[in-house]
Amino acid sequence: MSAKPKKSAPGSEFMRTLRRDHAGLSRVLRELEVQAARLVQVPEQAAPVLADALSYLLRYHHAFHHPREDRLFARIRAQDKGLDTPLAELSHDHEVGEEQLSDLVDLLNALNDRQLRGKSGQELADRIQEYVRHTRVHMRDEEAVFYARAEGVLDGRDWREVIAADDGRKDPMTDLVEMSSRYPRLAEQLGLPVQQLGLIERASPVSEALREQMLSLIDLYGGLAYDMLDLGRGHIDRLLSVRGPVSLAKAMGEMSSANLKFVGRCLTRPPRWAINSAASVLVASLRPYLRERQR
Amino acid sequence: MVSWQTRTAALLGRLTIRQSLKRGLKVSEMRGRIRAMERFFPAVPDDIEIETTPELSCCDAEWLTLASRQTERVILHLPGGAFMTRFVRAERLLLARMCKAANARGRLVFYRLAPEHPYPAGLDDSFEAYRQLLDLGVSPEHIILSGMSAGGCLALALLLKIRDLELPMPAGAVLMSPAADLTDASESGSRVSNAAADAVLNMERGDDIRQLYLGGAVELVSHPYVSPVLGDFHGLPPLFFQVGSTEILLDDSQRCAEQARLAGVRAEVEVWDRMPHGWQALSFAPESGRAIGRIGDFIRECCP
Repeated sequence: MSAKPKKSAPGSEFMRTLRRDHAGLSRVLRELEVQAARLVQVPEQAAPVLADALSYLLRYHHAFHHPREDRLFARIRAQDKGLDTPLAELSHDHEVGEEQLSDLVDLLNALNDRQLRGKSGQELADRIQEYVRHTRVHMRDEEAVFYARAEGVLDGRDWREVIAADDGRKDPMTDLVEMSSRYPRLAEQLGLPVQQLGLIERASPVSEALREQMLSLIDLYGGLAYDMLDLGRGHIDRLLSVRGPVSLAKAMGEMSSANLKFVGRCLTRPPRWAINSAASVLVASLRPYLRERQR
Repeated sequence: MVSWQTRTAALLGRLTIRQSLKRGLKVSEMRGRIRAMERFFPAVPDDIEIETTPELSCCDAEWLTLASRQTERVILHLPGGAFMTRFVRAERLLLARMCKAANARGRLVFYRLAPEHPYPAGLDDSFEAYRQLLDLGVSPEHIILSGMSAGGCLALALLLKIRDLELPMPAGAVLMSPAADLTDASESGSRVSNAAADAVLNMERGDDIRQLYLGGAVELVSHPYVSPVLGDFHGLPPLFFQVGSTEILLDDSQRCAEQARLAGVRAEVEVWDRMPHGWQALSFAPESGRAIGRIGDFIRECCP
């Protein structure tokens, strides 16, 4: 690389704009991911937000941000041939990404809620997730390959020309009022302080109670397994400390006593678990009826 | 749906870490068991370089740098482990993955552990690491704090301390299931409702951890640097919490975020369905990859 430091103020400002664009894009990618995960379950809620998010990406990122980057890539490629291949790949990514995004928009518009709940909806959700993953990697590569180097490679004249060709369009993400007016359903989601990821409708109280009891069964047997390991370790230590027949007899007595205690735990704990489980499942199954009667 | 990889890890966590915590093991035994478990965690990828200089005065620390990549962002990461232990390899790998996702350098601080070095040793070390970054010329706008569990508590405490000392604030903080309330005062909420469902943690060692971390000075437990949820969040940078819906620490994140929002601080909480404590570090689980991707997005948002 032939880079010598040629940092210039206009260049810095231009790069800041590109980085701010990535910040806005990152926020929307997070939302795309959340809504794509909900699409099959609640299409009537997720689809309008996805439509807004995809539209924002098409109308700003593909229409303004990527051409802005492409102009810069072309300048850098002219100055530093070493960056030719990676920058050509990044430019190609822009074209492919735009086509993919247009396809996603068409598909989302073409499917009704019933179709979105089925296989087609799942396929669309998977494609959106893939788009999100790919865009993240692309953004990372851009930052790593050329964002860091652009200011060192281009001189004042290059920057003046790059900036002159720019329309100065700002990311609507920097203005929440504009976001709310143009992409209301997306803006509403972006303002939510808590996101539930992967939360599905809870099953019945009975199956919740059963699940809880299964976990306590795992704890129970996990605990017994640990007890057994501790017991074995203790026996080995005890046997290694034996010095003579009297000591051996004493050790055997202690080990037998410890074994009996362990057997006692093995015999008493599972039935106790079974009684507790049966009681809590019974309570869980009766709760709806009891509530009904109270009303 | 929770992936089979995460389900398996949760089951193993339930059978190992949760059982260990229930048994009142000595700290040295816990550390030994963690070292044994750590052998199963992969090393950091080859394209990450690890350096140890410049050093900190009282504890070890590492720089994680993406090979051949230039970036101004730095993630200052504080590992978890109940202030007494740590999963070194797992935390290193976690930070490496965060650095890749956010195109950042990583600073991993192995702050001094209790009971040998009780509070405020860990906080002092974390603060020294932050000061060092500023002294090295890293702009605070390019620094992101991150912390897992006990490290999340320290990251929040560090933010409060930076604010109190009127130093420039970092650009944001990523808090993965922070243990932000050491008082354990809440007799309701997730500490009770998730007591059985939490795959890793339980409350049975809460008193021991408090005693050992505070070196017996339990009256300090209500101090905001010990239980940050009790602090004033004015002037803090954007906060990003990730927590599992079945964790006993679920409320800590939600209460901190509420406190932050009341103080006018941007705070987001992501509640992940049935994820075990520390799932972000399970590099083989798809949910971990998604969580790290979202952390990378957040870092890019606050640190463009």
